[in-house]
Amino acid sequence: MANLKIAGLCKDYGPVEVLKNIDLDIKDGEFVVFVGPSGCGKSTLLRMICGLDEVTSGALAIGDQIVNDVPSSKRGIAMVFQSYALYPHMSVAKNMGYALRLAGEDASEIDRRVKAAAEILKIDHLLDRKPRQLSGGQRQRVAIGRAIVREPEVFLFDEPLSNLDAALRVDMRMEFARLKKRLGTTMIYVTHDQVEAMTLADKIVVMNAGRVEQVGAPIELYHAPMNRFVAEFIGSPRMNILPAGLVADAPAGADTVGLRPEQLVLGEAGLRGKVLTTERLGSDTFAYVEIDGLERPLVVRKGGDEALASGLDVTVGWGADALYAFDAEGRALQVAPLKAAS
Amino acid sequence: MLDLSTWQAKTVFTALAVLIGFFLFFPVYWLVISSVKPDHELYLLSPTIWPNEFTLKHFKTALFEGGLPLHLTNSLIVSLSSAAINATLAVYAGYSFAKYRYFGRKPVMLFMLSAQMFPFGLLLITIYPMFTDWGLLDSRFGLMVSYIVFALPVATYMLYSYFSQVPNELIEAARADGASDLRIFHTIVLPISVPPIVTVFLYSFMWSWNDLLYSLTLIVSDDKRTVGPGLLLNYLNESNADWGGAMAASLMAAAPVVIGFMALQRFFIQGVTAGAVK
Repeated sequence: MANLKIAGLCKDYGPVEVLKNIDLDIKDGEFVVFVGPSGCGKSTLLRMICGLDEVTSGALAIGDQIVNDVPSSKRGIAMVFQSYALYPHMSVAKNMGYALRLAGEDASEIDRRVKAAAEILKIDHLLDRKPRQLSGGQRQRVAIGRAIVREPEVFLFDEPLSNLDAALRVDMRMEFARLKKRLGTTMIYVTHDQVEAMTLADKIVVMNAGRVEQVGAPIELYHAPMNRFVAEFIGSPRMNILPAGLVADAPAGADTVGLRPEQLVLGEAGLRGKVLTTERLGSDTFAYVEIDGLERPLVVRKGGDEALASGLDVTVGWGADALYAFDAEGRALQVAPLKAAS
Repeated sequence: MLDLSTWQAKTVFTALAVLIGFFLFFPVYWLVISSVKPDHELYLLSPTIWPNEFTLKHFKTALFEGGLPLHLTNSLIVSLSSAAINATLAVYAGYSFAKYRYFGRKPVMLFMLSAQMFPFGLLLITIYPMFTDWGLLDSRFGLMVSYIVFALPVATYMLYSYFSQVPNELIEAARADGASDLRIFHTIVLPISVPPIVTVFLYSFMWSWNDLLYSLTLIVSDDKRTVGPGLLLNYLNESNADWGGAMAASLMAAAPVVIGFMALQRFFIQGVTAGAVK
């Protein structure tokens, strides 16, 4: 296991700045998730940690060693790729043992470690198969197994669940949670799926346009976003953003205010509007309420059994501590109290 | 997918298939039956579609009295060597163009491909004095070099196209596993590239095997002659036209290509269509 320290890290591709001055501390055994929209630089950052992309400037340290110029295989890391990147002509056992063979480990040791990893991932009956004979979920396990046998100090996962269907993704998410507990190794996981981020992470790093917007525990980011980007990115459906002028109790200096769908209450005094449409998901009902002066309808979360007719005139209210306020630059003005802590 | 649901479509399609089939296979049929017809039946004013008599005389003559075995051996040596060297060079060049970024990569590739823009006959005019100066005229090695010169650009481009589609993540995974660039190429990329390499090998082999112009010009000794010019000069020269012998010898000359193609057909088709669909 090892901690990881990133200081002033930049990455340029010619004139294009992909990563801008990234500072990050990842502690021993932490499960850290990089999350952000497409093109925000999260995968590039992971690739730089892996040693697949060169560092333009700044320092990257694993344990006590600066690894900017250390080859990937000598960094004590193992990466699981989005497409699994299994060697198609090798059996599962050969795939998993490839790195150990290159490192000159003897056959019995390779066999022992491959079998141990296969048992952890419940793929010990698949060791003789070729990747094409496996399902998506099994391939994913083999890719993880290939990383485990190397006994790395840091695991890197690049959107490992994005090629799986929804049901399998839920299963594999639980699998990752189990692995995290069992191995206790430092893990860095890249995703654009905030459910994965919220459920797996000890710490989430929210990235946008090559910068780190905020670092914190999942629930901390949810309740205390430092800016409008994080507030909108974390939470599904996303936070409703309104011009401060529309809201009577907006704090001084606020340019916009934010209200989460679950904090809005229909029928309470507040804004007047009309139900545009509703989405009934069984567990929840989302009502889209059109408000005069707002470009996007407000999303209100209701109980799954509550039906609302389209075109219905409604009022939308909220509790006293529900309001998030942002200045003209999008910085949070008034951070709502941490509910997890209270 | 072709829609052949109506009888009109089926009729047109079948008629076209028969017509194309006739043009493709009738010459082969004529080659086979002419090789087993006796001489007197070959020169009838009304040729027989099915031989009245069968003979293996032409095969015996071609095998035991002419230079066919020697010419076949020469062709095999030149074609197999040039195909092997060509495939080897094309594999490394194609991979380098596809997976590495370096100064001059594109111009070098375009320069290589530009060799294909000149008519082969025209290039022969420049190659001939060069080979004379270098002592490569009338040598099997020289002929092999000339075949590599012409087949290499296309072979390189074919493999470049294939290697460009090999996922970078596969290479990066092997790099993260600790493999060197050469090791990645030999243990990961090459084993999954057998079909396109076989395709390139067959392409180069057929190029050499079917050549007439270069072999006829660059080789002057009969003992170094390859099968194409051998057939022409032995059976169909200015004073003599032994059609029966020419047909029997041609059939035997075509055999290695047909057998090779049939044996490697699976790879060839996969190689040609690789990457066409996801």
